[in-house]
Amino acid sequence: MKISVKGSLRDLFGFIRLKSYRRNRFAKAPAQPIDLGPVNELAAQLHPKRQNLLISEIRDETKSTRTFRLAPDPELDTLQLAYFRAGQYLSLKVDIDRCGITRPYSISSAPREALGADGFYDITIRKIDDGFFTAHVWDHWKVGTKIVASGPCGRFYHEPIRDGNKIVGLAGGSGVTPFCSMAREIIYGDMNAELLLLYGSSDKDDIVFYEQLGELEAKSAGRIKVVHVLSCDEAPLPDCEQGFITADLINKYADVDESTFFICGPQAMYDFVRQELTAFGLPPRRIRNEVYGEARDVSNAPGFPRTAVNKSFELTVRIGGLTTIIPALAAETVLVAMERAGLAPPSECRSGTCGVCHTLLVSGDVFVYPDGDGTRAADRQFGFIHPCSSYPLSDLELAVPRSGL
Amino acid sequence: MANGSRSQQIQQAYDCVVVGAGNGGLASAARLAVAGKRILLLEQHNIPGGFASSFRRGRFEFEVSLHQFADIGSPTNSGSVRQFFEDELGIYLDWVEVPEAFRLILTDPEEALDVTMPYGVDAFVDALEEEVPGSRESVTKYLGLCQEVLEGLAYVGKSRGNPDRKHLLGQHTNFLKTAPYTVDQVAEALDVPEQARKIMHAQWSYIGVPTNRANFTIFGGMLIKFITFGAWIPRQRSHEIALAFDARIRELGGDIQYNTRVEEILVDDGNVVGVVTSHGDRIETDYVIANASPTLVYNRLIHPKSEVPTIALQECNARLHGLSGFVVYLGLDAPPEEIGLREYSYLVYRSMDTAAGYESFRTLDAPDLQAVVCLNNAIPDCSPPGTSIVFITTLYRPEAWHSVKPRDYVGSKNKIAADLIADFERATGAALREHIEEFEVATPQTFARYTGSYDGNIYGYEPEPWDSLLPRMMMLSDDQHIGGLQFSGGSAFRCLGYSSSFLSGQVGALLTIREMKARGGSA
Repeated sequence: MKISVKGSLRDLFGFIRLKSYRRNRFAKAPAQPIDLGPVNELAAQLHPKRQNLLISEIRDETKSTRTFRLAPDPELDTLQLAYFRAGQYLSLKVDIDRCGITRPYSISSAPREALGADGFYDITIRKIDDGFFTAHVWDHWKVGTKIVASGPCGRFYHEPIRDGNKIVGLAGGSGVTPFCSMAREIIYGDMNAELLLLYGSSDKDDIVFYEQLGELEAKSAGRIKVVHVLSCDEAPLPDCEQGFITADLINKYADVDESTFFICGPQAMYDFVRQELTAFGLPPRRIRNEVYGEARDVSNAPGFPRTAVNKSFELTVRIGGLTTIIPALAAETVLVAMERAGLAPPSECRSGTCGVCHTLLVSGDVFVYPDGDGTRAADRQFGFIHPCSSYPLSDLELAVPRSGL
Repeated sequence: MANGSRSQQIQQAYDCVVVGAGNGGLASAARLAVAGKRILLLEQHNIPGGFASSFRRGRFEFEVSLHQFADIGSPTNSGSVRQFFEDELGIYLDWVEVPEAFRLILTDPEEALDVTMPYGVDAFVDALEEEVPGSRESVTKYLGLCQEVLEGLAYVGKSRGNPDRKHLLGQHTNFLKTAPYTVDQVAEALDVPEQARKIMHAQWSYIGVPTNRANFTIFGGMLIKFITFGAWIPRQRSHEIALAFDARIRELGGDIQYNTRVEEILVDDGNVVGVVTSHGDRIETDYVIANASPTLVYNRLIHPKSEVPTIALQECNARLHGLSGFVVYLGLDAPPEEIGLREYSYLVYRSMDTAAGYESFRTLDAPDLQAVVCLNNAIPDCSPPGTSIVFITTLYRPEAWHSVKPRDYVGSKNKIAADLIADFERATGAALREHIEEFEVATPQTFARYTGSYDGNIYGYEPEPWDSLLPRMMMLSDDQHIGGLQFSGGSAFRCLGYSSSFLSGQVGALLTIREMKARGGSA
């Protein structure tokens, strides 16, 4: 086939000239360096890999909960905090006894309050009896203590494209924190939604943010309603409900057909509330769950082999240029075993979901917590696991990426 | 400090370090490993793939970017990428052929069009003849010319970027003669009717350069690859490709480190001597293949800066940085038939005025163009029974996003997403919005965040005729400014796209091996 676009010779000449034409274009171009693209800069502001923070204020909320206000640490080059969406959490990275561990905590302050040089995040921590991390916090965290955090994480937020503008928050204990952020966001006018919060506590003294929630409700002109649900024998508060967050109770306060339900609290509370919600036959899109961390008793999980309960194993871990053998218990996650050994592996949600701990299981068997398998299909095909929701059932060989935080 | 960092540093020396585990980097690393080279692949993210990846939301697993992979073909009619994967690398994937080429819907009343096209040369020509009577002859000629381009490309591929000029001039004349022209110039010269051109050029958005500027070689090559070999996708999303490469590279003795960003490529007296990473690793190597763009490499990575020649910086300024992407991912709680989606691949444009379409990428409004995939119509069980996965892709000039502040970001992206969803619903009658169970958006910032690409660029440098495949290839040695440094991926000489990135990675590896041999080193 003979083709000619502008004449056969001209076409061929055009081809031959391409090289010199390109060379000339280069030679005529300026030589100034190209800076980081503005798109890269905004990406780094929205999703910093690491934020250096310091504690600027500490407030006791209840006898076992404390709020820490975290401010940017300009000495370590964090000049401002990343903006976030109400409901998101921070993964805190803490070194305890030479072990680098992480813990996820929801932000209870409003996104707007994070802006500017004097911006802050509030996180509220409940002290756990014998808790390795919380004992350290109570002993060591003072005003001025430096804290390393991730950027804002998680997807437990109102999504106007998907959710209606009626939100029902079902909270238990310190699981109220993301709703506190949402309530503030509503008061600031940054979130176009109404919030009904059904908040379960064991008794009045255990309610976190009791006064603050009352104030937010009072200021909201009807856009926020808080109902305390107390499981103690007596009801020591006016207008509170006694017992648990049951279907009847939800039905009493919520516009069930028009609402999106957000659940955050301890695992037992999830199990209970999710069961209660089945009464309404809601499509899954109307029920959003916050990840609930790894504090679980795996031995009672369905499918966990009884015989494994008290066993311990050896993990051969390759991380960066280091190969090391560490002990591990069947009842603890692979992530915890690596943290205890001081390997400081990456992690964020500690619930199997976010994928930050993505690790190659070279050999061996693990038990993956039901509901906690956030791996991708190809991960399962090629042997990748999320150590934060995986428990060893044999000796394991692992290839782990070093922490980017 | 935890006892992590220092004891975990890497101290070995390598024959070659590959910077970035995107499609190009994976290809280079695997090819070098096949050749027995001791390689280290470094990737800043915690998984391989770059833009070719997947992510989970609830009970859905979304494909990040792939709509149609060209040049795969069936096992019996295999394209060059399948051959490269299987015959050269020993990588076998579970490929699925997509059912139709595309359904093109033009929404401007003056251009109103709704046509569904098949792949296969005869089927394609027949369908066009039916839609545009009298187009058969010119379209057949046009596709024949595209076929010659494909043969020229195949020869170039075989020549490893070092073709014999005489052979090219003698055997691939039309390939050379059309190289200086745009898509429009060639189509006009062949008298392809305007209406047929509109349909034939529908996939211009895959190149992201309007047909009055895009080089014919690139578009024609892509078009005929699709028509000849069909379009294929991996069954488990692009993450399957990335992990298959990961597994094969390790099997061949290669090392891979994720969460490890290369901060510096060390150069001494014009030659690569090593790299420094974000973990403080200092790794000795004489060869680097960068799956990052020359823009990033010459402006940020080469150390010391005095080793960057002026001409390299001039090149970065002269070349046209391409588009970024914007994708709305929807996990829907109804099956495709209930939503009203019959096709896999929808192209919904205001019009086929491609220059005007490109202009609409310059502001933050929803662009006049979207390419939409309903994944279940190729892979029915890609999501749980009774659900479906739809993703809507459009493009932006990065500048459109330059003035967005953190506080405006979510509002901006959600408004665009809502408009794109509404545009699609209006064009097709499908009901998406009421079925959204999972919703996610990738913006130029998202692409920049996960890959580090310059300004969120996903399409490399725009292949206008002067900076398209052939001129880049003819100048491969002119463009090499530092001994031991090669490029792979969408910014390398094969230009953008999945298949081009893999093939550029292949060539990057072979050029490195050639350089090793020439130096009489470890090869």
